[in-house]
Amino acid sequence: MPNSEVITHDVIIVGAGLAGSWAAMATAQQGVKDVGVLSKIHPLRSHSGAAQGGIAAALNNVRPVPGTGPRGPLEQIPVGDELVDSTELHMFDTIKGSDWLGDQNAIEIMVNDAIDVIYEYEHMGCVFSRTPDGRIAQRRFGGHSAPRANYAADRTGHVLLHTIHEQALYHGVKFYAEWYVMDLIVEDNAVRGVVAIDVLTGKIHLLRAKAVMFGTGGYGRAFKITSNAYANTGDGVAIAYDAGVPLMDMEFVQFHPTGLYQHGILMSEACRGEGGYLINKNGERFMEKYAPDKMELAPRDLVSRSEQTEIDEGRGVMDDGQGIFLDMRHLGREKILERLPQVRDIAIDFVHVDPIDDPVPIQPTAHYSMGGIPTDVHGQVIADASGTPVVGFYAAGEAACVSVHGANRLGTNSLLEASVFGRRAGYAIAEFIKGGAKLLPVTGDPAERSRQAVKELLDNPGTELVEDIAQELKANMTMNCGIFRDEERLNIALDKVHELQQRFKNARVMDKGSRFNTDLLATLEAKHLLTFSEVIVKGALNRTESRGAHSRTDHPKRDDEDWLKHTIAHKGEDGRPQFSYKDVTLYWDRFPPQERKY
Amino acid sequence: MSNNNAQRTVTVRIQRFNPDTDKKPYMQDYQVEMKPGMTVLDALHEIKTHQDGTVTYRRSCRHAICGSCAMHINGRNTLACNTPLKNEVTHKNTVTIGPLPYLPVIKDMVVDRTTFWEEYLRVKPWLIPPDDIPEKEFRMSQDEVKALHDAETCIMCGACYSSCAVIGLNKKYIGPHALLKSFMRVLDPRDSSPAERLEEVSGADGVYRCHTIFNCIDACPKGLNPTQAIETLRKLAQKRQKLEEARRERQKHLNEPIPA
Repeated sequence: MPNSEVITHDVIIVGAGLAGSWAAMATAQQGVKDVGVLSKIHPLRSHSGAAQGGIAAALNNVRPVPGTGPRGPLEQIPVGDELVDSTELHMFDTIKGSDWLGDQNAIEIMVNDAIDVIYEYEHMGCVFSRTPDGRIAQRRFGGHSAPRANYAADRTGHVLLHTIHEQALYHGVKFYAEWYVMDLIVEDNAVRGVVAIDVLTGKIHLLRAKAVMFGTGGYGRAFKITSNAYANTGDGVAIAYDAGVPLMDMEFVQFHPTGLYQHGILMSEACRGEGGYLINKNGERFMEKYAPDKMELAPRDLVSRSEQTEIDEGRGVMDDGQGIFLDMRHLGREKILERLPQVRDIAIDFVHVDPIDDPVPIQPTAHYSMGGIPTDVHGQVIADASGTPVVGFYAAGEAACVSVHGANRLGTNSLLEASVFGRRAGYAIAEFIKGGAKLLPVTGDPAERSRQAVKELLDNPGTELVEDIAQELKANMTMNCGIFRDEERLNIALDKVHELQQRFKNARVMDKGSRFNTDLLATLEAKHLLTFSEVIVKGALNRTESRGAHSRTDHPKRDDEDWLKHTIAHKGEDGRPQFSYKDVTLYWDRFPPQERKY
Repeated sequence: MSNNNAQRTVTVRIQRFNPDTDKKPYMQDYQVEMKPGMTVLDALHEIKTHQDGTVTYRRSCRHAICGSCAMHINGRNTLACNTPLKNEVTHKNTVTIGPLPYLPVIKDMVVDRTTFWEEYLRVKPWLIPPDDIPEKEFRMSQDEVKALHDAETCIMCGACYSSCAVIGLNKKYIGPHALLKSFMRVLDPRDSSPAERLEEVSGADGVYRCHTIFNCIDACPKGLNPTQAIETLRKLAQKRQKLEEARRERQKHLNEPIPA
């Protein structure tokens, strides 16, 4: 049934956020011009654009005014004066933030590449905010011991995304906007291509390539309250897993401390970076109790747990006591309008509060996926704990797990990671192609298999609404696999996921047509949520310790003896995850594990 | 919280059209229970996921930064995601939603933005940097950055483009979105080709086509002013050689601190 053509490129990249677009641009820049980028939404709609506060790099452009202490006002560093920041310090902060689960070789590369990648953005036309003498402006961020968040007001991701997309266009990258990838073709541990739906026509195509790269983003949509876009359904993660590629550290999900109350929409950490307070119903800056040194600028896992503790102990705000106040009034109108204009609009639009006049109700929100497809420092995907490469398959950004964030990511390190490792993947792919990579044959007709799968979904006379299954899953994940976890709740969570996987077989797709069928896409996305949620929950159940964002109330201590290792999950013969573990790369002489206090 | 947001049922009237099955667009009514804080996008989501999965629209971020969900709501272009439903309910208890005007409809609220993106490409949205790239950043003053503020805030949602009466008549017009992008590059001290850019946008399909009807300003969900940018481009186009010379002069100092 040849009702669609086979498309061939040297390189196929899936996802057009920062990681995917950097990889595409860098590959083309290196002279490998036949690059196709598939994205289920237009590239400029990618969720990288929603990042607000900044991108980390130790540029040493600003410092606290001397004599005002570490929380004092910032000024540009006069030429020739002593520097306050270093890559070494950025590295240490990231390692400590990761609760020592980050691989230190990868972190070292990231903090070193950071400086160059920021300047490259600037040279490509990115419009950063500036210091009075014209350098890139920097602000403070949680867990960073120097002001190193380079920013463009509070729309940093937006300007970075537009800049890199423009550059990819300039370099002749071909974009397939609104193409939804359904399947990754791997045979004999070597990648062959992907199968994708052209959303406009509904036709399903085989796309063959010598190399495939996934920059498909995170999986925060598995949770009820989330800052993530509708699109962040972890498709790439689930597709890779189904194709036999392992997933790493999936149990580590970051809850951001300041999601808008009941909406989960992000209020940038820059609100606190610029000096905002967190207040409970008694008007107390409760972070004094939990992180007396860093206060509101402790790392996100710690701040979110502190908020949740305040809420659980009855000191939350709003009618249901499930909120906390983010108070920015003392920053003043001028600073809010200049530095946080988008954040202000969001608060006004969605909770009808102007941060200039009133505190904004917020709550912790599922935000970032530390886990993902395991790669080496060149974006090369690995097939097992010993690092065997999946030939021709690359990943970067939130979909990947290098791992630089370990058990908890620091703010502003995500835009950085996506950029640095997207670029590195691009360079590695170009080298791979130039080194004589071949277009490998494909057995059978994978596109036909996907067509059959879609037909079965559409023909299913099922009675369950996909949305009801998805909503139940999200409520379950937030309730039973959220900020605080324990064995009992995780077992409930796992049973629920299994139940919903069964019920999904009875799911009904309402739209039976081929043209722009977003009902079908939502069904495929829900299937993906169910696939990787099982890996999250099972991984969390196995890990009987508390580390970073994974907090077990029944195992409250970090356990380096047994658990200083990455979780690796393969899909087993029975369809259930099979676990193995991989050593963390540590520089024992430089950054040995320490107690983590802020 | 007070009880003035008590739930009530509202009629959401949606313009439906699937070119595969429908001869022409028609209106279809859905009933939605209005919950406190509900946006127009929330209402559409409720309809799509619980009543009629064939209702089709684009959406992603749900907080006015991705630009996916621009549509025609009660007679004006805006984003569905940050528009409160209760503000849009008329005295007849109805909200009317359709696709952005002047663009071919793919399905329901999903429009074909091909010409929109073609014009974006046409103005070469990327920076054309000087030959001399410094080791660190180019120095820009805070005022130079401020001048680009509006243009870089643009999310390319198309609300302005499809409210523009000139676009309605002539798809060859570059359009407010792309002219705003061009404005951003022309004014950027790091860009080396302002004269060439001005030549492109002052041709037959460019800035002089704008009739200053201001529809784009009313439509912009980010509160931007493309008309003003277009007027600035017009003025600069008159003296583009002078601007080019000034730019070359400015670029001699791009590697130096901005004087206090």
